[in-house]
Parts: sequence; structure tokens; C-alpha cells
Amino acid sequence: MAFAYMGKILNVDLSTGEIREESIPDDIYRKYLSGTGLAAWLLHQRIPAGADPLGPDNILGFVSGLLTGTPSYFTGRWSVVGKSPLTGTWGDANCGGNLSPGIKRNGFDGIFFRGISEKPVYLYVKNGKAELRDAAHLWGRDTTDAEEALIAEHGAGARVAVIGPAGEKLSLISGVFNDRGRMAARSGLGAVMGAKRLKAIVLDGKLRIPVHDADAMKRLSKACNKWVQFQPPFLSGKAMAWLGALMRILPTQMALDGMLYKIFLKKWGTTSMNQMSLEMGDAPVKNWAGSNKDWGMGKSATVNPDHIKDIEKAKYHCYACPLGCGGICVPKPGAPEVHKPEYESVLSLGGQCMNADLDSIFRMNEMLNRAGMDTISAGAVISFAMECYEKGILTMADTGDIELTWGNAPAMIALVDKMIRREGIGDVLADGVRKAAERIGKGAAQYAMHAGGQELPQHDGRNDPGFAVHYSVEPAPGRHTLGAQMYYEMFQLWKRVKHLPRPPLFYFKGRKYVADEQKAVTAAACSKFMNLANGAGLCMFGLFLGAARIPSFEWLNAATGWNRTPEDYLAVGERIQTLKQAFNVKQGIDPRTKRVCERAAGAPPQARGANRGRTVDIDKMMSDYWRQFGWDPLTGVPPETSERSESSENQ
Amino acid sequence: MAHFITGICNGCGACLKMCPTAAISGEKKSLHAINPGLCIDCGTCGRVCPVEAVKDAAGTVCQKMKYSEWLKPVYDLKICTPCRICVETCPVNCLDLGEPAPGPEPRTYPFLKEERRCIGCGTCARECPVNAIRMVVRGGKAAPPSSAKE
Repeated sequence: MAFAYMGKILNVDLSTGEIREESIPDDIYRKYLSGTGLAAWLLHQRIPAGADPLGPDNILGFVSGLLTGTPSYFTGRWSVVGKSPLTGTWGDANCGGNLSPGIKRNGFDGIFFRGISEKPVYLYVKNGKAELRDAAHLWGRDTTDAEEALIAEHGAGARVAVIGPAGEKLSLISGVFNDRGRMAARSGLGAVMGAKRLKAIVLDGKLRIPVHDADAMKRLSKACNKWVQFQPPFLSGKAMAWLGALMRILPTQMALDGMLYKIFLKKWGTTSMNQMSLEMGDAPVKNWAGSNKDWGMGKSATVNPDHIKDIEKAKYHCYACPLGCGGICVPKPGAPEVHKPEYESVLSLGGQCMNADLDSIFRMNEMLNRAGMDTISAGAVISFAMECYEKGILTMADTGDIELTWGNAPAMIALVDKMIRREGIGDVLADGVRKAAERIGKGAAQYAMHAGGQELPQHDGRNDPGFAVHYSVEPAPGRHTLGAQMYYEMFQLWKRVKHLPRPPLFYFKGRKYVADEQKAVTAAACSKFMNLANGAGLCMFGLFLGAARIPSFEWLNAATGWNRTPEDYLAVGERIQTLKQAFNVKQGIDPRTKRVCERAAGAPPQARGANRGRTVDIDKMMSDYWRQFGWDPLTGVPPETSERSESSENQ
Repeated sequence: MAHFITGICNGCGACLKMCPTAAISGEKKSLHAINPGLCIDCGTCGRVCPVEAVKDAAGTVCQKMKYSEWLKPVYDLKICTPCRICVETCPVNCLDLGEPAPGPEPRTYPFLKEERRCIGCGTCARECPVNAIRMVVRGGKAAPPSSAKE
């Protein structure tokens, strides 16, 4: 008997309306786990080479995790997967919320859509019985509104993933929305859903998920929870900014312990890092051209995490999370409740655009959430437009009389509104910076901050070169949730996995920029581990506790009845990574073209601020990383891909 | 693993009305059957069967119980984290999160919102990673069966 996974997926052909269950062999789960691993196996085989991401051949999948629905913690993440219309590469976006158990408790490890529906539809699944229903009454409505309408229609047990007007209008920076404020935003997969005319999926499932040894899992969970609940009371938001400044000033760095970050997360959520990141040089300023010298502690004081905590009315926990980094805020007395904006949203719409107005950040975050548009990419595209305006590439005539000066909050709100409606300049910008630069021309491309077409998140590779590496080498480029040097320190994998290096407790900062083999080893370990996490449904913030405190490998063994070592599990992660890379090669993507843009790699280096004089040797680091996986160090192509495609041609 | 109905079933349909996953089928006054693919071993069919025709996964005959004797969840909020697993897992959606706790950590803790709809299955207690839920007899009357299927 199979434990922890359901052994089945649901295939929906939107062109014909056919809905078909499919059994997945046990062997596949052993090789690729569930979640994005299972999805990589499926999509690599089934999406034909050169498929149009917005055409009928692209497959859009919603996947749960191997550990979801078991008595374990931090295991409620779900992913939406497909070929990304934004980058043309492997696309996935990960989200918490409450959808993941809905997939699995309907008896499926994933739900996959192909084809294009003639009219707007949504999928309704109740205890494994699926049907497509007319979504005419939902089309055009915003995400929160549509979700509430679907829950009112289908009862309190309904769990919903939905797109908003941005996805319907095929904005390439649109995402998929869940639980009134969580979003699988990256890779532009909302547009794939919109192109398929699939407004939503509604899942109401209560089936049982078999577990091999529930008591062992609970013992592990209890031990893990002790670490989560440890919380010292003395923490001030202002001290966080000074901590960041201290980290900037000191010539040495200390290996980070995720317990510290856990404490910050539990108190403030991801916004704990707002000022700290700006001070230490982790958060980009002024479209990556500025620094803490342009945006000091006085300017960033409005996003002090204490200010945001003051208006937090309730903590928000995703499914299976004992930490609860989310929040429900009431920005002004009497205003409707909104989800607390995350670090990425605050700084993307804040410091990156030199915007100090916290109210406007709340407003834009809510507008973008309701439209189903990625806040990270939206902030990036606004700061890109602001720089173009500053340089005279965009004029008032182009922008429709919006004065796009740095930090002009009303102008930003007007621009977000236009992007959501795709009107005028908004239509130019609504598909991300790379497309916008192509449309504008006049040398605008040099101001487009992206890797392979994906707008960059709020972590600067010039501060932690690990980010620049992962932005460039990951099959889904430009992502901050897969690896970095500081993530490696927090994952503490060397405590569980033999042969992985332990970083020194203190080291000089210059060491981070030396492109030696150890950087490649640790970067590869992060990628493998996060592939494992996304196959298991684990949350990265939980994994920051450190491998000795969060029993990810032990949970997997107890849930499935397998008896595998951490090394075995990392080999699974490696296999998934190679498969995703092979997906890209099959789709005609040259891995070298996903390299992060020059400015974000410090070429030329900044003259002042936290990251002055720093350049990342990104080409060598990419090549070293590819070598770790046994891929061609010059091209990044995995060896078996060329053989496999040859053998399939011969058949 | 699943419950199953033996030949002494009189086809009254009481179990069919109560089953939270619609796993039971059968015509009135004829033998009913449980679809093992949908059964979640909640045991409600066994508790309501007037002729004790239901056996559990281990083959033990389920005993009929008055609703006032059914077990209901009681939370130990000192242990609860609160992770929402119980709320999301409840087969009849009778649990919910309450108002935020006062103080600097306004967490919302789960509670038994609709006690009359609770079927006493213990799924919440079984799934809780830290065993913060005990199942105890709290008495009370059941809601009309139809509401359990909404």
C-alpha cells in the first residue's frame, strides 16, 4: 500500500471537456516525489517542444506536496506549474494559503489542464468527483470577490484558486490567487490560466490521506514545534534597522542561524526585514542603481515593521503552519481587512521606486492582489518606467500625463490602475520589463532588471552573490526562494548530509565574492534541497530553522515508510533539477540567456553605498554550478538531454 | 481501509444521510454499500445504524450510540499552535477560527463552532500534530441529518 501520496492525478482537457483520472506508478514518487517533482516529470514528457505557452498545448498544473495532509508542520505549500509565458522556460509559482489539502483530500496529487475552453469555466471537485462549470458570472470580477462568490455558492469547505482581471487580460506578470490574499505570483502563470479561459478551481475534499507511521510523525512534529514556539519578548522594529546598519559597517560577517530569522518572522512576518535589508544592501534601491545612501534610515522609517504591526488585527497562518508569519491588517479605522503586504511587495513598491508612502503601498498591494498581478514584477516594471522617464525615454505624452518621478505615490497608483486595465502606457508595461523594453526601444533595455525575462525580487546579488547565481541558473530564472549563500547557512544541511561543507562562524565579506568550488557546491545543495521541499510541500521559512531542528527527511520516511538517507533525498532533488533543465533545453531555451542583467551583477560596480565596488563573477559561478550537476560547463545543457532527443529522433 | 455494511442492513438509509463524503449508496429498503475509495473511517454510519449492520476496518461491529454520547473535540489552547490543520480537515466543516487573542500576538485559535453538526469522528484529534485535541462526551442534540451534508 502506498502511503502519503494519493497515487492519482486528474487530467482535464478544456478543449473537449474530457476529465480523466490517471494512476501514477509508485516508482515515479520514489524518483521525483510529488509536487513540482511529479509535475516536472509529467510536463517534460507532455508539453511538445516549442509549444506556445498561451496555446492549447501548454499544460497548467496545480500540485500539492508529498507531506501535505500528514501530521507534520510547514507542509501546506502548493505550486502552480506550466511553461512560463514570461520567460519561455519551466515555470512554477509556490503559495501557502489553504488550497494544498484541497487537492490531496480530493484524492489527487495534482490537477492538470490542457487545451483551451470555448467559454469561461471553472473546475469544481467534491470528494474526487470533478466537473467543469460555467464561469460567465465570475469573468471580469476581481480575485477576492470571485473567491467569496464561489465559497458562498459551494459552502464553507470550498477551497479556491482563482485569477483576476490581470490573468484574464493575459498580463504576463499575473498570478494565481488563494485564500483572500495569498498568491502564486511568479512565472506569469495567471496568463496561462486566463488563456485557457479557466477562471478558478474549487476544491471541496475530505478524503483521508494514509500515513505509514502517524505517531512517529507527531513525535517529530512536537520536537520541531518546541523550536518554533521559542520566542524572546524583547524586540524592537528600530533595532532591526540598526542591526542591518551594523551588518553593513562590519568588515566581517557571521554565518546566519535561521532561529534568529524565525524569531523575527514570528513577530513581524517577512516585513521584519524591511529596513534591515535596505541598510545592509540586500534590498535594491532606485531600480538597482541606488543604495542606502539614497534611501537611508530616515526615508525607510515609514516601513518600520512596528508601524505595520500596529495595524495588524490578527495573525494569519497558512495551512499546517505553527509559525504564522502572515497577518490581517486594517490600514485605517473602518477600512476593510486586507492581508499584510509581504517584504517583497513593500520594498518592490517602496524603496525600489523611492516611495516612502506606506498607505500607497497598502493600496497598491491590495489593487494588485485583487487584479491577480505579481507585486514583485509590478514594482520592478514601475521602477523601470520611472528610470525611463528620468532618462527622457518616456515622456508625459507616452505616460498619458502621469508624472513618473521617483517616489511619486499618486502617479504609481495611477500607473498600477492602467496596468491592470491595460490602458495606454499600462498596456506597454503589463507584460513585464523585458517586453516593455522591447516595445519602448530607444535603449530602454539597459534599465530592465531581469533574469531571462523574470523581474528580479528584492534581494541583491551584489550583497549575497548566491542570489545572483540562483537568479541566473535556476530553470525558472529570477527567483529568490531557491537558494543563496545565506540560505545555505540557515538550512544547516551539513548537520544531516555528509560531505557538505560547514561555513565558518565568522568570515570576511570579501570571501562571498570569490568564485571557488565551494560556492558552487553550496548553491547546488540549495537547489537540490528546495526541489525536495517543493516536492514535499514544505515551506522555506520552516526550513530556515535548520536541518537539525526541522525533521524534513525524517518526516518523509515516517510518512511513506521508506528508509532513505538525507543523501538519497538530495539525489532526488538533483534528479528533479536536471529534469527541469532538460525541459528548458527541449523548449529551445539556451541556459546562458537566463543570466542576470549586468547592473544587478555589479557591472559596472556601484560607486557608493553598501555594495560599492562589488562585482559578481557571475559567468564563472554559473559555469561552476552547471558542473556540479554534471551539465556542460560551457552551455549548461545536461548530457542526457542531447542523447535522449537523439534517440527519440531515431525512433 | 474502510468500514463496510453487512447483510443485516435493513435499508433504512440513516447512514447514507449522515455520511460526510457521500460514500454510501443503496436503494431504500435494500442492502446499502460503502465505497471504500471514499470512506474516511469516520464511523458515523456505525453510530447511527439501528440494526448495527456496520463493521469497522478491523472487522469489529460498530455500536449504535445516542447522539448525546458522541465524542466531541475539546482544545487545549496552551498546546495548540494554531496551525489550522483541524479546521481544514474536519469532514463536516464544524470547526472554525475564533476572534484574535488579545495582546501583542493576535493569533486566531480554532473552536467547535457548530457543535450540533459535529459527527464525533475524531479526525481533528487524529490529524493534530501536537495532540492538542481531546475527544470527550459533551452531550447535546444533533442537527437534522441533512445539514451534515451541505
